[in-house]
Amino acid sequence: MIKVTQKDLKEIVETVQDYAQILIVGCGGCASVCLGGGQKEVDRLCAELNLVFKAERKPGRATGYTIERQCNPVFIDELKQIIDKYDCALSMACGAGCQYMAELYPGVPMFPAVDTVAIGIDRDIGVYEERCRACGECVVGYTGGVCPVTRCAKGLFNGPCGGTSGSMCEVNPNIPCAWVEIYNRLKDQNRLDNIKKIRPTVKWQNQTQRTLIQKR
Amino acid sequence: MTIQNPPEIDSRKIREILWERKKEVVVSLKSCAHCALCADSCFLYRCRKNDPKYMPSHKVINSIGTIYKKKGKVTRAELEEIRDIVWKRCVLCTRCYCPLGIDIPSLISLARQICRSQGVVHDFEEGKIE
Ligand code: SF4
Ligand code: SF4
Ligand code: SF4
Repeated sequence: MIKVTQKDLKEIVETVQDYAQILIVGCGGCASVCLGGGQKEVDRLCAELNLVFKAERKPGRATGYTIERQCNPVFIDELKQIIDKYDCALSMACGAGCQYMAELYPGVPMFPAVDTVAIGIDRDIGVYEERCRACGECVVGYTGGVCPVTRCAKGLFNGPCGGTSGSMCEVNPNIPCAWVEIYNRLKDQNRLDNIKKIRPTVKWQNQTQRTLIQKR
Repeated sequence: MTIQNPPEIDSRKIREILWERKKEVVVSLKSCAHCALCADSCFLYRCRKNDPKYMPSHKVINSIGTIYKKKGKVTRAELEEIRDIVWKRCVLCTRCYCPLGIDIPSLISLARQICRSQGVVHDFEEGKIE
């Protein structure tokens, strides 16, 4: 699922300090699951913001409200009864949720209170690792189930860069080289043929926004 | 150190939220024909081996249905039971289909809204991944 993490309190204060009534909107979906923007986190941020406003004698007053999801209009609709009372809103959902809220309530300045970090896996509660960058052309079928876009710092499609050292990545020696993992996994499965063919690189330039219509 | 008791359930607040959408709740609860056609449209029902507890209609009747029947006068224990139904047995994917047009996810989301208003929410930190 999508993983988000709260922005630095100072940055949040800076974005909303000129508004009087601030609504912090949590998301009951992915953002809750990763402990980044659910009801608990909304309550915490709300208390922290109000403390800062009080200490700095700012007029701002934050109120929290969590809806079930910010990427679906059915749930965003719930805010229509209260949103007019606020001068701005802070969204604790992913970037997609925040944008949908901004689109559906165009009169309310909408600010993200979290950074959307990754599509990732749960290693443990509160420990997440990125696994996918939604490139739109999944290649892990050829790379032993290891994503070269996400896990190779250079996003290489045809083998390692040459800087691999002791199986670790030259960009960050604490991270294993994706291509060492790809090679070992395919070797163990007797599938090294999969990476012998040259794969064209992804054309990243001029990508337009994608829309998905699921065909059945 | 004093142990804090959880605040009492505020049934007035629950009724306030419920009354706001009373018409929709009443019409939905009354028009459910118990035909069970919604069951197959719920992937959770299907992957839980057709366990009736996962039927969308069952989830609605035992969450918002219970709250409505009791006019909001639910105990914390009852609300916690409802919390487990609306969080653990439904992911609000909005894929279920009722031929009578009952908006199941919206009703389940209303039950969650009521639980949230009383601080009864699913704890995502509960249970470590083994
Ligand atoms: S708004 Fe973003 S974080 Fe919330 S459920 Fe949708 S995708 Fe997940
Ligand atoms: S399909 Fe609709 S009418 Fe039939 S049992 Fe489900 S909710 Fe009730
Ligand atoms: S919204 Fe809930 S009840 Fe409906 S299909 Fe999804 S999980 Fe099942």
